Amino acid sequence: MAVAAAFLGLFFLYPVLKVLGASILDPTGGSFTLRNYASVLSSPFFLQGLVNSLGVATAATLFTILIGVPFAFCVARLPIAGKPVLLALAALPLVLPSFVSAYALVLMFGRAGVVTGALRAAGIPFESIYGMKGIVTVYALTLYPYVVLPTVAAFQSIDASVEEAAQNLGAPRARMLRTVTLPLVLPSILAGGLLVFIEALENFGVPFVLAEDQPILAVEAFKLFVGETADNPASAGVLGVLLIACTVAALVAQRALLARRRYATGARRSAPLLAVSPMLRRLGTAYCWAVVGAALVPFAAVVAISFLAFKGPVLTYDLSLDNFSQLFGRSYRPLANTLLLATLAAAGATLIGVPIGYVIVRHRSRLSAALDLIATAPFAVAGTVLGIGLVLAYSNGPLILTGTALIMIIAYMVRKLPFSVRASSAILHQIDVNLEEASINLGVAPMQTFLRITVPLMLGGIVGGSVLTFVTVASELSSTVVLYSGPWTTMTVAMFQALEGTSAGVAAAAATVLILFTILPVALVYRLLQRYELSML
Amino acid sequence: MTAITIEGVSRSFGDVRAVDAVTLAIRDGEFFTLLGPSGCGKTTLLRMVAGFCELDGGRILFAERRVDTVPPHRRNTGMVFQNYAVFPHLDVAGNVAYGLKARGLAQRDIAARVARALGLVQLDGYARRWPHQLSGGQLQRVAIARAVVIEPDVLLLDEPLSNLDAKLRVEMRGEIRRLQRALGITVIYVTHDQEEALAMSDRIAVMRAGRVEQVGAPRAIYEQPATTFVASFVGATNLLRGVVKSVGEILVGGTVVTARAATQPAGSKVALSLRPEALRLLASEPAPEGWAVLNGTLEEVEYLGAVTRFWVRLADGTALQLIALAPPAAGGAVTVAYDPARVVMLGDGA
Repeated sequence: MAVAAAFLGLFFLYPVLKVLGASILDPTGGSFTLRNYASVLSSPFFLQGLVNSLGVATAATLFTILIGVPFAFCVARLPIAGKPVLLALAALPLVLPSFVSAYALVLMFGRAGVVTGALRAAGIPFESIYGMKGIVTVYALTLYPYVVLPTVAAFQSIDASVEEAAQNLGAPRARMLRTVTLPLVLPSILAGGLLVFIEALENFGVPFVLAEDQPILAVEAFKLFVGETADNPASAGVLGVLLIACTVAALVAQRALLARRRYATGARRSAPLLAVSPMLRRLGTAYCWAVVGAALVPFAAVVAISFLAFKGPVLTYDLSLDNFSQLFGRSYRPLANTLLLATLAAAGATLIGVPIGYVIVRHRSRLSAALDLIATAPFAVAGTVLGIGLVLAYSNGPLILTGTALIMIIAYMVRKLPFSVRASSAILHQIDVNLEEASINLGVAPMQTFLRITVPLMLGGIVGGSVLTFVTVASELSSTVVLYSGPWTTMTVAMFQALEGTSAGVAAAAATVLILFTILPVALVYRLLQRYELSML
Repeated sequence: MTAITIEGVSRSFGDVRAVDAVTLAIRDGEFFTLLGPSGCGKTTLLRMVAGFCELDGGRILFAERRVDTVPPHRRNTGMVFQNYAVFPHLDVAGNVAYGLKARGLAQRDIAARVARALGLVQLDGYARRWPHQLSGGQLQRVAIARAVVIEPDVLLLDEPLSNLDAKLRVEMRGEIRRLQRALGITVIYVTHDQEEALAMSDRIAVMRAGRVEQVGAPRAIYEQPATTFVASFVGATNLLRGVVKSVGEILVGGTVVTARAATQPAGSKVALSLRPEALRLLASEPAPEGWAVLNGTLEEVEYLGAVTRFWVRLADGTALQLIALAPPAAGGAVTVAYDPARVVMLGDGA
């Protein structure tokens, strides 16, 4: 426990404080000043960035709710075909790298995009996908599962008797759905929506690919910090603090909402599927598959394009493995780095996260509540901001980590800790505490009981959680771009560099490799994940 | 197979005194039940004996050995949990062998004792089954076998029958009682079901709000309840409050009730309990020798199958319930007789 607390203190709280410090100290670092805030907030460019970031996050939240709630309703309450597959596919965008989806949009709808070209050839005027509309589109397509998964669960946890009571009291079905069912799932919808808001706010890759000259906070903080002309940690710190403030506000709102969410759980008998006309059922089925399809098409397109030859930046329709040989011709190092770093980070996050989860669930106290809060907090800190904080904290002084693989692993562990803590605490909630007491009662000491009863029962969840950590680390971009150094280039960085240059084919190949290394592990442990995917939210 | 001494044991959670200075002496080989409504502290007390709940004060002894300072895994108690807590990742034999392995027994001995324990709970042939393949009653048997196979000093059962359906519950309570007699083991049994407690126990401690209200054999608890709470919690009763008029006579409302046990000075406030089955509805026959008689109106009749419950309103408005075997002829004015010896004076009448 002390180790976990020290870890979070050293590599999360301290770097975040460093960012805060950079934002409120004058350039000499000696005295307190608000001039940094004044200069950032008086700059029309950064103000526009703040407006853009909040606007994009709000729009993304609205769109994901508009897409996700009908989807969840269809899956949970209508007799539509292929539900397990549908749900599995719907959850997939959560683990796939969203900037790949953004990049796919560029390949299809960008200035030289495949679809753009076709439309222009057909005489249909089409502006490119760049800017706010493109970013919101990608968020809507990749973040909607955050709304779908909790809402499906909420629909399923409504006890049938509640709806029967409404009908028994004279409410027709439509009225029952509006006055009973919907209010009961509303907290879950809002909770999911807030997750979307936070994700959209701190995402780096998608706006980096699509924003062009429009400022977005997470991107501008990065640019200010590693600026080629003059790096500016003070202004970067201000942007970081603004980002953290926004996400913390959203997170606090979410917690307050969840705290009051007492009524949507524990159905003895789930409400039955609604009997609807074949027409409506077909409509629902079509809608769900259309959503899943739209979300996954960009990824499929990238994979397809990666196997086509490029002539310079121009795509041809010749099948070829050139892109891959170019990608790996430079070096296999990025792939090896990604696998190594992701494995170590997943192992580390699990080793720290599981004991924290255990303490939070089994030893309720003020201390464990504080630990819970701190372990969840990294969720509210954008990857770029954490990266900046780590660099500020460990570039000099007694502990120099900048440029090492270790600092990357540490950043990943901090970023993924909330997930491994939540995963393990969710499993523990399902393991009856009486099982542990029964073992102790039969003469097995508490520590051995933990090893012989608790760990075996948690194992499925632990493995599932580790794999999820692995795949999300493998496609992590935001903290990586701040922290990586030459020898520790990862696949995401390779793709990022190819994007900055003009190697569209190499970027597509890198994206394909990333997708492969995401889908394969998830597919391998899918059975384990099914039970816990919800708890990861 | 041990006597258990609980001395002045207390525990508070926040402002709530869950267990409040409880003292009990449980005899070797006794079937002892903690009975009370939810929140009365009975489960907390049981968990204190098992070692899952710390004591704020007092001590607990198994025979001469003080155990409240011993960690739970070295107390040698066998506990059966309300939801069974059968390990889902071990099969039936694995569950039953679990405590024996912890004690480092030889493989051969373990196998023999597991087989014997499964025989005791009539689960021969189920050794290789998995928990998810078993019914609630079978899981219950596994939990019991697992607890008794370690030959514990005391078997602790925490509402073990509350998750079973009514018929199985009656069957299992007989079985648990037989098993306890066969093994001669000391049992502490927690329940909120007064019928279960009466049917199974050698002695019962009735608890309320962390305190023991009365300890006694089932018949003593039922027939001589010490307090209004015990009288009304264990079985149905007519609970009456009144003032002693003279020796053997109590004024309840406007009615004079004859009670052999009323020995308090005139003017004392008292509470008394008169069981419904101690009352008799008279048709035309005279009251039995020495019985007292009350007149009233038959207000309501509840047919309960084996018996019938009657509600009689006396002239002063007092309502009495009584139970008889036969259904009545008709309503209207009735005469009710009772044996003054069966009127119980309750200790907390004032």
